[in-house]
Amino acid sequence: MNIWKISVHNLKSKPLYTLLSVFILSLSITLLLGIQQLKSSFKYQMENNLGNIDLVIGAKGSPLQLVLSSILHLDNPTGNILYKEAKKIAKNPMVKMAVPISYGDNYKGFRIVGTTLNFATLYNAEIKEGHTFQKNMEVILGHTVAERLQLKVGDDFLSSHGLVDNNIDLHDEKLIVVGILKPTHKVIDRLIITNLESIWDVHNHKNDDGKAHENENKDDDDDDHNTDNKEITSLLISFKSPLALLTFPRKINKNTNMQAALPKYELNRLYEFTGVGFKTISWIAYLILFISGTTIFISLYKMIKEHAFDLALLRTYGASNFQLIKMIAYEGLLIVCFAFILGFSFTKSGLYFLFNFLENRPQQIILQEVPLNQVIQIISLVLLIIILSISLAIYPILKMNISTIISNEK
Amino acid sequence: MIKTENLTFYYKQEEATFCFPDIALKEQEHLLILGKSGIGKTTLLHLLSGLLKPVGGNVFIDGTATNLLSENKLDTFRGQNIGLVFQKNHAVHSLSVFENLKARFFFSKKKISTSAINELLNELGLLELKNRKILKLSEGQLQRLSIALSVIHSPKVILADEPTSNLDDENCTIVIELLKKYAKKNKSNLIVITHDHRIKPFFKNSITL
Repeated sequence: MNIWKISVHNLKSKPLYTLLSVFILSLSITLLLGIQQLKSSFKYQMENNLGNIDLVIGAKGSPLQLVLSSILHLDNPTGNILYKEAKKIAKNPMVKMAVPISYGDNYKGFRIVGTTLNFATLYNAEIKEGHTFQKNMEVILGHTVAERLQLKVGDDFLSSHGLVDNNIDLHDEKLIVVGILKPTHKVIDRLIITNLESIWDVHNHKNDDGKAHENENKDDDDDDHNTDNKEITSLLISFKSPLALLTFPRKINKNTNMQAALPKYELNRLYEFTGVGFKTISWIAYLILFISGTTIFISLYKMIKEHAFDLALLRTYGASNFQLIKMIAYEGLLIVCFAFILGFSFTKSGLYFLFNFLENRPQQIILQEVPLNQVIQIISLVLLIIILSISLAIYPILKMNISTIISNEK
Repeated sequence: MIKTENLTFYYKQEEATFCFPDIALKEQEHLLILGKSGIGKTTLLHLLSGLLKPVGGNVFIDGTATNLLSENKLDTFRGQNIGLVFQKNHAVHSLSVFENLKARFFFSKKKISTSAINELLNELGLLELKNRKILKLSEGQLQRLSIALSVIHSPKVILADEPTSNLDDENCTIVIELLKKYAKKNKSNLIVITHDHRIKPFFKNSITL
């Protein structure tokens, strides 16, 4: 027999109330944790996807759209730029690495990106099986693509035109899988990568059929070996020094018909937009936390008032005021403990289902753990509210007059 | 052993002052305190048990001046040396019969003796009910449990406040006999405070307030 056991018995004697308190509190913990986890996953995903890309250059239009399309591979591209213009920029001494990308096709919803071998370097991606593409029409697959589509080295497939999965607008040339990348948890996991020429080739034939395309080479007479008039979608740049960011973008935007977008800046902007939703849910969570604090206060206070005689009786058994306070406080703390356990498992299972649902789409987010300091912050906030409720509730114990309580109970 | 000297108490709100006659009981001596309602019987009992602190005078139990003890020490002293029986029978609702008795041991900081609890429950015919919750006990069962709770820890003094006023003659006798039996067994003093004259024959010593 100890105080903990008595507190447990007290809680057991009012199961409905106990469950309600635990449930409300765990709901608020779930929301607070869930929103933090989503937030950090979202932020991590965006920042991680940048890889070593400092700047992206593409056709004029919305810079956010350029970043979303060329870096996160979420949106449609803004248009095309001339490959020879891009190559001029790439020769600038401030540029450490410039990677051209060109896309407009997909296979079962996964985008096919025509690029150079440096593309994998931007994301520190390494080959797991097979080798990199050496000839036209050879592709390497991101980890997720290979896993999801059950493709192996040596398999081939027909790509379809556009960025959305369809069976109508298929290209004629088969693409052959020659390599599969190790998982990077970056956007490259969800891409099919080939050389620029493969993309140009595929679309040259299409154009022969008289179809118009927006994202690829429109020059029908073009010689495959002369890339000067070829077009690409955008150019991903990594600089030697961050100082280049100060002057380089302005120069591009002013002197060329292309635009330069800073992925970090654009994504931060996007993050601020979406932050409003996160904030609203956070406030709802705080409100529920407040309500649950009040619920716990009311029920402990009620318990002290209604069971004053029980408490007075314990005093006659030799219990000190402090022991009674401990008894009440332990009740509150037990509720908090259960609520934390429940809240953590709600968050885990809830987000697991949410992400399982999201994973059916090509643009999935990788679930990140909530940073430890955020978890500690949430735990401290919840504890603070509950300790406040408990302290308010136990006040009557300090004022309790056992003699009066016992002599009035007749 | 229990002794009082010049006990006085004052209720601020009612502006009522009570002065009590001195009591001196040797080991195993019992005392019946009779008096009409409102004369301060319960006040005297609470002063003896340390639930109230006297305005003047002293209470000695087993040589300790309880009115001079600190709050915490008084709680412990009360838990170890005093057993209280109230007019209304009561035990902690969230605990079972057995757990109530264990809690009684726990709070009096004495070693829990399961065998002593079982023996006492057996004597009082409560052994089969040991895991029952308090709310599911009958009034008679609860009464016996109250007595068990006031004697299980072998107190030096058993203090009973109107233990028989709601009982018929038969039960009145049973309760007084039980209290006397356990007082004898534990070598305790028994002080019963009542306006119930039926129990006068059971006591050699009595005073009237």
